[in-house]
Amino acid sequence: MQNLRLQAPVPNPLVVLREEFDDWAVLFNPDTARAVGVNPIGVSVWKLLDGRRTVDQIVREIDRQYDSVPECAPDDIGGFIDQLATGGFVGYEVERAAP
Amino acid sequence: MTLALRKHLPPPAMTAPIMRTPRTVDVEITARCNLRCRYCYFFDNPSVQYRDLPTDEWLAFFEELGSCGVMEVTLAGGEPFIRKDLAQLVDRIVANRMRFSILSNGSLITDQIAAHLARTGRCSAVQVSVDGSCAEVHDSCRGTGSFQRAVHGIRILQTHGVPVTARVTIHRFNVHDLHGTAVFLLEELGLPSFSTNAAGYLGSCRTNAAWLMLGTEERQLAMEILLALHRRYPGRITASAGPMAEARLWGRMERARLERAAGSPGEGALTACGCPFTRLTVRADGTYVPCTMLAHMRLGTINRDPLIKVWQTSEDLNRLRGRRSFSLKEFDFCAGCSYLPYCTGNCPALAYAMTGSVDHPSPDACLRNFLRNGGSLPLPLAGS
Repeated sequence: MQNLRLQAPVPNPLVVLREEFDDWAVLFNPDTARAVGVNPIGVSVWKLLDGRRTVDQIVREIDRQYDSVPECAPDDIGGFIDQLATGGFVGYEVERAAP
Repeated sequence: MTLALRKHLPPPAMTAPIMRTPRTVDVEITARCNLRCRYCYFFDNPSVQYRDLPTDEWLAFFEELGSCGVMEVTLAGGEPFIRKDLAQLVDRIVANRMRFSILSNGSLITDQIAAHLARTGRCSAVQVSVDGSCAEVHDSCRGTGSFQRAVHGIRILQTHGVPVTARVTIHRFNVHDLHGTAVFLLEELGLPSFSTNAAGYLGSCRTNAAWLMLGTEERQLAMEILLALHRRYPGRITASAGPMAEARLWGRMERARLERAAGSPGEGALTACGCPFTRLTVRADGTYVPCTMLAHMRLGTINRDPLIKVWQTSEDLNRLRGRRSFSLKEFDFCAGCSYLPYCTGNCPALAYAMTGSVDHPSPDACLRNFLRNGGSLPLPLAGS
């Protein structure tokens, strides 16, 4: 199995991002009725999920966008995306087996 | 930097800014109903124009709801299943990444529409009104044959795997049947749960209030029965209003008073209703209102006034939200009440119906009134 950090997470196209005034947001999956609250950096990460950027590339982009990003950021962001994947908010493309 | 991923959304706090858009929109998709229940809150409201919008108007509106990030649409009426275009309306809700629930009398549910609802995978629940364990009780206020048709509707939904629940509206003619009703709904029909409220001083009920609404004795009886049923069926009987909700709320208030506890945040003010912070209602004629029970309070019109503008800038809606700043000490009605530090003033719609003002505590759910009228709390159970 490939290292997920090297794969590009794909956002579930059904998921709704409800942004609020305080820059927090809710991610809502209408198929499962699951909703999670995410903080402003979580929102930034969500907007970078495009099916092309890998997790490592997203980490670098966050590092570029924000000042004073702590050393634990890559693990935090990776863990966040893992949680989103577990909840069905993002997925990874699966390679097709050879016919 | 910490990334927070919280599994549960926080409850609306008293000082919290409003959401950008409502999380839920209640839509009365029709003003038509095949029944005329004697305590219907919907009909006989002189402020309401009872007319239906064409399909296209609702389809356009559901597009707007989707673009606003609304999560859930509650389809109500009237009787939603009376609309021949219901499947089309539901499909547009689903296409716009929302879930839906339906409030119904159950009598017009067919195999075809139930199968359609099931296929969407987005139906949170269909709530069917069932007011008794048998036709004699249920039909007393809803009309001959309505019990049989409601039960038939529930069974159709169950057959197709549509989540279904029931709502029991308690009044003088079914309060003695509550135990039987619970057994019927939870055991015989096998519903996971049902909710309760009571006939309130709204709509058609206003003309029938004297002989329909619970008096003090019946209210007390309902509280006792429902709390006992709650112990027998833990977590399966719910209420946000009516005797069961009152029994719990009043029990907590009485305990706090006896312990001379300090009031919790939000208590001692008109904070009871959080709906204006999370949801909005649209009448069958396309008028935005804060709540189906505040149908006179016109906030705008769909497809003419943008939802987001109504939600964020309506003066009437913001005034209703500001109701929370009223201390109960400001009301003569509450003067000298020892429960004041623990009370939240209850439903603004019933306050309006009974006093003519939403900015007033509701006399209907006043614990002091209940006790003054001879009521007593089932203390060993209250608040459990």
